Amino acid sequence: MKTPPASGSMRDALYEAPGPRTRRRVAIGTAISAVVVAALLALVVRQFAVTGQLAPRYWSFFLEWTTWRFLLQGLVGTVEVALVAGAISLVLGLLLMLGRTSGVRPLAAVCRVVTDFFRGVPSLLLIYFFFLVVPQYGIKMPSFWMLTLPVALAASGVLAEVFRAGVNAVPKGQVEAALSIGLSRAQTMRRIVLPQAIRYVVPSLIAQLVVVVKDTTVAYVVSYPDLMQNARVLITSHDSLVSIYLVIAVVYVLINFAINQLAAVVSRRTGAKIIR
Amino acid sequence: MGLAELLGTYGQNYLDGLLVTWGMTAVSFVFVMAIAVLVTVMRVSPFAPLRFVGDLYVQVFRNIPGVALLMIVAYALPYLRVILDWRTCAIVTTILLGSAFGSENFMSGINTIGVGQIEAARSLGLSFSQILRRIVIPQALRATVLPMTNLLIAVMLTTALGSQVPMTPEELTGVVSYVNTRSVGGILAFLVSALGYLATAFVISLAGNRIDKRVRVLR
Repeated sequence: MKTPPASGSMRDALYEAPGPRTRRRVAIGTAISAVVVAALLALVVRQFAVTGQLAPRYWSFFLEWTTWRFLLQGLVGTVEVALVAGAISLVLGLLLMLGRTSGVRPLAAVCRVVTDFFRGVPSLLLIYFFFLVVPQYGIKMPSFWMLTLPVALAASGVLAEVFRAGVNAVPKGQVEAALSIGLSRAQTMRRIVLPQAIRYVVPSLIAQLVVVVKDTTVAYVVSYPDLMQNARVLITSHDSLVSIYLVIAVVYVLINFAINQLAAVVSRRTGAKIIR
Repeated sequence: MGLAELLGTYGQNYLDGLLVTWGMTAVSFVFVMAIAVLVTVMRVSPFAPLRFVGDLYVQVFRNIPGVALLMIVAYALPYLRVILDWRTCAIVTTILLGSAFGSENFMSGINTIGVGQIEAARSLGLSFSQILRRIVIPQALRATVLPMTNLLIAVMLTTALGSQVPMTPEELTGVVSYVNTRSVGGILAFLVSALGYLATAFVISLAGNRIDKRVRVLR
């Protein structure tokens, strides 16, 4: 038997090289399952057809440039929030991690509590905090920040843990060696540990961008014009809900799929695992 | 608004909210596990169409934003004559999202076992079902305790999507917006709900770590 390739190998390793009888059974099973899958798909399409959702008026406006221009404007809004939130969470996550691993007891405790807090509450709750609670204290914020800050805070908790995993992946001996040649703790962290840790977590950081993009979809709560919010506007103007929500969902899936693939490629290149 | 006043006025709402969140989490997680197993079986089956559908399922529901999926389930499906009540919509969305991640956990659990063990088992003459039952499934389950604990917490956080549809009674996140649209709840109104999530997550991860320590295969 040929040794299976290293990636995704378990799938193939589970089965022996099939003999003639097994091959026939697999062929029959494949045919049956293909029919079942096709039948289910046909059922879905039929449901669209009988409810009139395939009518051209629900789909034709996707052929117009103005539709896509409006959606692209929304996408720009999404990208802006995602990038700014990503940048903030990167800095905040790093600071939280440094605080937690600083060795200063009270600071470490505070950073730990903050990290666990942002990881342990839903991002929607954080958004309601900035949308409903913060204004009660007389602080007026533009909708961009009412969306970006909670998304950034939610991500920073996760990133702090990702960074910590990266720091833990640097062999202890290196830290001991650095300390024994007279480097201070801060110097050791800055010169020896961090450069390696950051390189180690790059794929995980990219993968976390997916979570940030997903979190931005609640922009309509604060009426910030992102892809989702613009889609909702389109729904009212074209009186077509099903087709627009489906197309938007596909767009989001493709964006996030691309980000995940990028993370996987970088992970394979550098040999660093993706930590979630 | 002080804590006493807040809990005096809305205490029942918070309690209901906590119970609804717990209930939705429990129901969702049972289905998440069942569907994750089913999808994983499809993905490792020798039938190409099933593998394809399983992979597609995971890629779609891993990458779709929860809100986008909720909008489809809650507002688009009725146009296709699939009408679910609001709470069911939130639960179905949570299940679809969670099961994709659950299947990923199972897949990586299977992948931790190592091809060598399967080859060894086969050369000892174990049949396919014996290999699955005796070698793969026990080890894969043990390796997935910790990831599944994290998934349970993630499922709980996902049920916050329920706040985006008009549910009665509301779940914990919905209660915050309920309270704040009726009175000036302040930061406490938010912290009480947050505490509900954090305390639950704490208990879940404590239990998960315990189980993991007991069953983990040391490598």
